[in-house]
Amino acid sequence: MADFKVKVKPKLKKGVIKVKAMAKHDMVTYNQAEKKLGDREKADFITRFLGTVNGKVVIDISTSQFLSKNPIFKFQFKGDEFKKGDKLIIECTTRLGKTGKGKGKIK
Amino acid sequence: MERRKFLSLTLGALALAVVPASVKAEDYRKLKPTVWTAHTVDDAMKNMYGTTKTIEDGVKLTAPKVASNGGAVPVKFSTKLSAKTIAVFQDANPEAAVCVYSVNEYSVNEYEIKIKMGKSGTITVVVEGTDGKLYSAKQTLEVALGGCEG
Repeated sequence: MADFKVKVKPKLKKGVIKVKAMAKHDMVTYNQAEKKLGDREKADFITRFLGTVNGKVVIDISTSQFLSKNPIFKFQFKGDEFKKGDKLIIECTTRLGKTGKGKGKIK
Repeated sequence: MERRKFLSLTLGALALAVVPASVKAEDYRKLKPTVWTAHTVDDAMKNMYGTTKTIEDGVKLTAPKVASNGGAVPVKFSTKLSAKTIAVFQDANPEAAVCVYSVNEYSVNEYEIKIKMGKSGTITVVVEGTDGKLYSAKQTLEVALGGCEG
């Protein structure tokens, strides 16, 4: 069971799959955690954003506290091996070990 | 060690070595932890690549000259170069590294993200080419409302 959701919208156009994905996460920085929660160690933000289609890795981002709240990721990948209907699965991990998951069918 | 076991271990190691680096999924937070704690862009780059020397070409970077909301600064970047990793750094937050993309065989290197910037500063995008060289682009911007403390 994932801790948070990721909206995934992949579109196939002219052999390239363009994706807009949004992870629903507060991305709390160390400074924000200290100010609002009184404890730097409560900081939690996505540290990895990994996407696969049919088991193949198509996007892999190591991330920090400096991405915006509810971060939007726009990226693309070659579509030769994939087709409409294939699912892009996004898995996120956070600093405190929480996970976010989302899927989107390539349209 | 039994010779058979030794042989299979060696072959296994060889097989791993043959897989091109660009195909492996890489968690750079685990692989290079000091990149993420570095305060300055120079230190983050030294920890990531071993050098701060880059060719200021081959990378396109677009960011607003004035960002109204430091909590969500849109950054667009791309490159046509054959790349291994693409990293985004800035000098407006307590630590310099924002994110590192691990390029794979399917990657089309055009990306957009929204980042936090605590104050006005410079964003640097570095492309680690498969030719072993570093390429970069910079953009300095003014931030109207700092977005690090939120």
